[in-house]
Amino acid sequence: MLKRRQITVVVFSQLLLALFASSHSYAIPAFSRQYGTSCSTCHVDFPKLNDFGKAFKDAGFKFPKDDETFIKIPPVMLGSPAQKELWPHTIWPGSIPGLPPIGLRFNTFFQVTSNNRNNFNAQLAPGTVGPFIPRTDFQPGFFSIFTAGNFGSGIAFWVDDDISVSGANANGGLGDAYLRFVNLGRFLKLPTDSLTLKVGQFELELPFTQARSYDISPYDIYSQANIGAVNPLYPQQFVNNSFTLAGPGRGVELSGGHHYGGYRYAIAIVDQNTSGTPPTNYPNVPSGTGGNSGGVGFFSDSNFKDLYGRLAYRFNLERDPASRHEVQAAGATGPRDHTYLTLGSYYFYGRSVQRAQGSLSNTTTPTIVLTARELFYRLGGDFDFNYRKLDIYGLYMYGHDNDIVPFIPAGFTFPNRFISGSPATFSGGFIQADYLLYPWMMTIMRWDRVSSTADFLNGIGASASTPPPTPFFSPFNSVRNRFTPGVQFLIHANIKASFEYQVRPKQVVYNPGTTVQLVSPFRTNTATAALEFVY
Amino acid sequence: MKRSLVLAVLVMTAFVTSEAGTISGKVSGVAGESVVYVDNSAGKTLAASTQHPVVDQRGLMFQPHITVVQVGTTVDFLNSDSVAHNVFWTSIGGNKKLGHNLGTWPKGERKSFKFDTPGAVSILCNVHPEMSAYIVVVPTPYFVTSDQAGSYKIENVPDGSYTVIAWHEGTKNQSKPVSVSGDGKADFTLSK
Repeated sequence: MLKRRQITVVVFSQLLLALFASSHSYAIPAFSRQYGTSCSTCHVDFPKLNDFGKAFKDAGFKFPKDDETFIKIPPVMLGSPAQKELWPHTIWPGSIPGLPPIGLRFNTFFQVTSNNRNNFNAQLAPGTVGPFIPRTDFQPGFFSIFTAGNFGSGIAFWVDDDISVSGANANGGLGDAYLRFVNLGRFLKLPTDSLTLKVGQFELELPFTQARSYDISPYDIYSQANIGAVNPLYPQQFVNNSFTLAGPGRGVELSGGHHYGGYRYAIAIVDQNTSGTPPTNYPNVPSGTGGNSGGVGFFSDSNFKDLYGRLAYRFNLERDPASRHEVQAAGATGPRDHTYLTLGSYYFYGRSVQRAQGSLSNTTTPTIVLTARELFYRLGGDFDFNYRKLDIYGLYMYGHDNDIVPFIPAGFTFPNRFISGSPATFSGGFIQADYLLYPWMMTIMRWDRVSSTADFLNGIGASASTPPPTPFFSPFNSVRNRFTPGVQFLIHANIKASFEYQVRPKQVVYNPGTTVQLVSPFRTNTATAALEFVY
Repeated sequence: MKRSLVLAVLVMTAFVTSEAGTISGKVSGVAGESVVYVDNSAGKTLAASTQHPVVDQRGLMFQPHITVVQVGTTVDFLNSDSVAHNVFWTSIGGNKKLGHNLGTWPKGERKSFKFDTPGAVSILCNVHPEMSAYIVVVPTPYFVTSDQAGSYKIENVPDGSYTVIAWHEGTKNQSKPVSVSGDGKADFTLSK
């Protein structure tokens, strides 16, 4: 069987190679149109940014120097520059892009799933017909629209939205949508680029982006929620925190420094929503997006605002001091990304609200709502080492949720307070190596690992909104490993073919009721091919 | 004495007039500028210009897009942009052994290269793949870039028989024999 699988993978790879190693052309996404330049000006293997792309982003989606000399479609001035003299410190007329900088992105997938894909059905009760997972599947992916640019005076904007996901119409939702006030520190006479303000919905300043990842599969640790279940043997496990680091934050972020060298920091204050519930509309309490007129309503499920901070430093290791401080290094055969080492750390702090119906005395019906704050945090460190065409990076994360449990005193029907239980924790991370074999071909190897006390069998009810049935909750540390070799080809600078093979070694998983090792745990290997284009 | 001097001037004038003709015509079948040049000079070796034509990189574009130089001419490559650029070519006249990479240099600086082999050179930047330019290295000083409509006129060509070649970006060269005796004509129809 293994041989057959290997043959399948090899044949499929060859087909991909034969199909996609053909021609060469250039892309015209949003910024390409505006500047008349190729995607490769900013991207190694889109959407992975090269050093120039990082500087372009830091500068507020502008060329770091002399931006106006590069724009091929002149912006529309919203007032004469001389207007600045009228109110030099308050009003700058600004500009809008000459053409709406709109980009579109679509991807589609084909997946082959290994033969043990239906093994978890063996855990179901006899006579139960379990769900069916196909051997192969074509999957239309994301059709997304994004617009980004600069309104002059260092005010940048970004909005992206998944118009359609998996062919199921407009259910993808908003990705990032924000205004960024670049280099605000100049008003406070701070060093250049030391203070920037971002307002809206945005991905946190993660060490490595998930929202704009170029991998087919997401980083496991980023999507790790801390969700337990009430277990009859271990009743202290009650954590139900659906927060994941990959999710978008809604709030404000202060940041400074550069991604292409030196320090970089970010501090964000964002809404808290650990329950995973969508925004709620309360007709009698108007909100910015709801209230009496209908709409969406409030997103927060707590008064507490979560805090996120990140600090990193990138050491550019070029010997030539002049080159070391430039955006790109001056190589013998042309500009290139620096040889660099980035070291960073990050910390997320929240206090999720826990509510339960209770009673301060022994009553037949609950009389009060018990409320408590459950502290949780995520912290970790990361590194990124780049040497010419080789980029090795990774991060470690430790997650901790205080566990507070409703306490029912003897003789009571309902709890009268919360007590502390054993914290629910998880840890893990990933290490990835990218090697740019050719400018149009990148090979990838990644190792993901997650170890959790509040985990459950991978693949069963993996979504926070559909928690697993209780028998599948593991009271023990459940360790998930995944090895993912991959390769990506740029057919054109704006069209990419990707392939990855996710290898998931089987893990020891116990039936919590009997402590007997489960047979044939659901750990499938998958081969996924993707085609993607942007324009 | 006076009469002989006048006679000598008349003879020389007639001689010069007969030696310095023109080759003109039109390049059709393609749009934009083409390069037309005389491929041989009757065994004579004519010194290249000592001036250095400049190919600038400005606003993520090579300027000018087409530069014609005689063999032995040194071309200066300038970077006027505030971003890093590179200049390289994969071949000269199709000879891949003559591919070369000049590297990278900052704004305001230039690098020079002497082109000793005739042929078209496709100039590229490995950072900005949309940038391109051509240097057409020709064996004689008798060359011209046509106007946008394809009309051209090469002046001061000595009388004689020549092979005239038309070059256009993305097409095969076309050559034609031309006899210059005062004026010569050669029209070309190129195709991609």
